Amino acid sequence: MSLSLPTFLQARREAMLAEWIEASPGADAETSVSLSTEARNRQMEILFDEIMAPLLVDPPTDFLPGPEEQASLQEHLQAMVTEQARHAANATDPIALLFVLRQVLLDHLAQWPQASAETLAEDTARLTRYFDQITLFTFDSVIRQRDRQISEQSMSLMELSTPVLRLWHQILLLPLVGIIDTGRARQVTDHLLEAIARHEARVTVIDLTGVPIIDTSVAQHIMKTIDAARLLGSRVVLTGISPEGAQTLTKLGIRFGDVTCRASLRAGIAEALLLTGKCIASMEDSGR
Amino acid sequence: MKKIPILRLNRILLVSIQEDLTDNEAMQFQSDLVNKVAEIEALGVAVDITALDVVDSYMARVINDTASMVRLLGAEVMICGIQPFVAITLIEMGRDLIGADCAFNLDQGLDMLKTRIAGRGDIRFTDDGDD
Repeated sequence: MSLSLPTFLQARREAMLAEWIEASPGADAETSVSLSTEARNRQMEILFDEIMAPLLVDPPTDFLPGPEEQASLQEHLQAMVTEQARHAANATDPIALLFVLRQVLLDHLAQWPQASAETLAEDTARLTRYFDQITLFTFDSVIRQRDRQISEQSMSLMELSTPVLRLWHQILLLPLVGIIDTGRARQVTDHLLEAIARHEARVTVIDLTGVPIIDTSVAQHIMKTIDAARLLGSRVVLTGISPEGAQTLTKLGIRFGDVTCRASLRAGIAEALLLTGKCIASMEDSGR
Repeated sequence: MKKIPILRLNRILLVSIQEDLTDNEAMQFQSDLVNKVAEIEALGVAVDITALDVVDSYMARVINDTASMVRLLGAEVMICGIQPFVAITLIEMGRDLIGADCAFNLDQGLDMLKTRIAGRGDIRFTDDGDD
């Protein structure tokens, strides 16, 4: 009685699935708190069937289709990657999962009664190629998933951190926090110019205390912002440059020219008040 | 390695360079001064170079850079007491070698610093008691 390979694999389905789930990374760990074991097993079962589908075609084909040709497999792989990205710590976990499955399959393949040295070598090669394709696709998905996360986070950071505050009549405060890149610099400049026009600000205080690294490009962006503000008729006071920042700027050959610089935000505000003809005084002086 | 003393007169810092500095000493002086300015939020710095007979282009650059750094930290800078022949050499080496403001001697330099500081906004905060 001859038993074809697909039929043999079909018969072993339960055993292989159980082995896979047993041996898969994270099966024993408590990391999958939010995903119950039951839900995880069901997801793995669906993925298992999707991966196995091309292997169960009878008679076996020489060429196994890559994930590009299987829309539903793609979908489930991506779902798995997304799920793992949310819960698991390692980017390699989805890949490791696939490697475990390949090993399980190879082990079972060796137990096929009709196996000869030639067919075994041939089937092993076929299976390896098939899994290579799936692994490549999964890896690509993992990377894209990460890229998406990073760009989403930088978007939200950008929106968080560019307020223009109205400090006093005709005085604006622009506290810069975090890394300044070209996109953000443009956004900051836009916001600032709009606010200067709206409030008819005569003085703008730009505070750099929260900018960790001031390099050539950051300095250029700040310089452009200052020049633009000047064109609108607003004076600019720079505050909060660190000693390291000052040394770097000078060694890079960047000159802020005649821009007013002050050591602290407090001194900068005092300067801004002076420029608009005001000062902060004690209560006794005003006769109250 | 020589260390140049940085003297403090209220919120003005006073530095006197008395002898030629090696490259390392010059760098050390630069970072010492910059850190001190930031630490006490100095309002003015007077650098006295009366005793220097030779100022090469490197030293001129160090002085100039230090002045720029100090200005970025929000303090006024005055270079005092450049000798006449040093001045001629500096001009022959290049006009912008010393970009900071200069005074004839320390006395005049301090006077000019004080005048400038009096015109600043943050001096009015110095007597509000929380310094």
